[in-house]
Amino acid sequence: MQVVSAVGEAFNNIVLHGYANRRVQAREQIGSVDLRIQTRRGHIRIELRDWGSGFDPTTVPPPAFDTLPESGLGLFIMQSFMEMAYRPGRPNLLTLSKRYVERSSAVRKSEGAT
Amino acid sequence: MRFEIKAATGVTHLAIEGELDAVSVSELRPDLEKLVKGRPTVVEVDLSSLRMVDSSGIGALVSLYKRVRAQGGSVVIKGLRDQPLAIFRLLRLDRVMLGADTRSPPPAHKQSKSRH
Repeated sequence: MQVVSAVGEAFNNIVLHGYANRRVQAREQIGSVDLRIQTRRGHIRIELRDWGSGFDPTTVPPPAFDTLPESGLGLFIMQSFMEMAYRPGRPNLLTLSKRYVERSSAVRKSEGAT
Repeated sequence: MRFEIKAATGVTHLAIEGELDAVSVSELRPDLEKLVKGRPTVVEVDLSSLRMVDSSGIGALVSLYKRVRAQGGSVVIKGLRDQPLAIFRLLRLDRVMLGADTRSPPPAHKQSKSRH
């Protein structure tokens, strides 16, 4: 659930902000996103590459929750649910990663404890 | 995403099902606009069949909440669970916008033991 939420926000950010200024003349010119998913035991790493406008995540202020913000929440959701790294460039590279406890090993540990 | 708005005496019911995200929210916004312009007294939002919400969907719900309240009305959000509830809690919206049934649980207290 957290991974799906974080990746969804990352993808939306690219489409809504990274490619916001693209002229939509033909479908091919809207912009592309390269998505790579790597998994190994207890770890998932997702890379999103795009060729739109980049940004500096360190300059984005955290949401002011007291004011019930209606925007600027996507980056906070991403960073709350996964480790995030960002490298602007051609392409921009957004990396989301997360460690998790595999169900089978958790069950084994639980069974071993009893 | 599917939604339904029903205006009854004193209460306007809004039910949203499925996934409310950056794409589907554009279908909902015009109707939310009409809803707010009707200056409702109470808006009851049923999210029990909402499976997923993203920051854009949250933005639309927060906007509805703030605008109805600014007109002197109230918004009651009910039925949140799973991913949408986790997002509400993460963004600390549960403290302000949710009914008592879905707020974050209070700090743990000693449970009274029942004796039989």
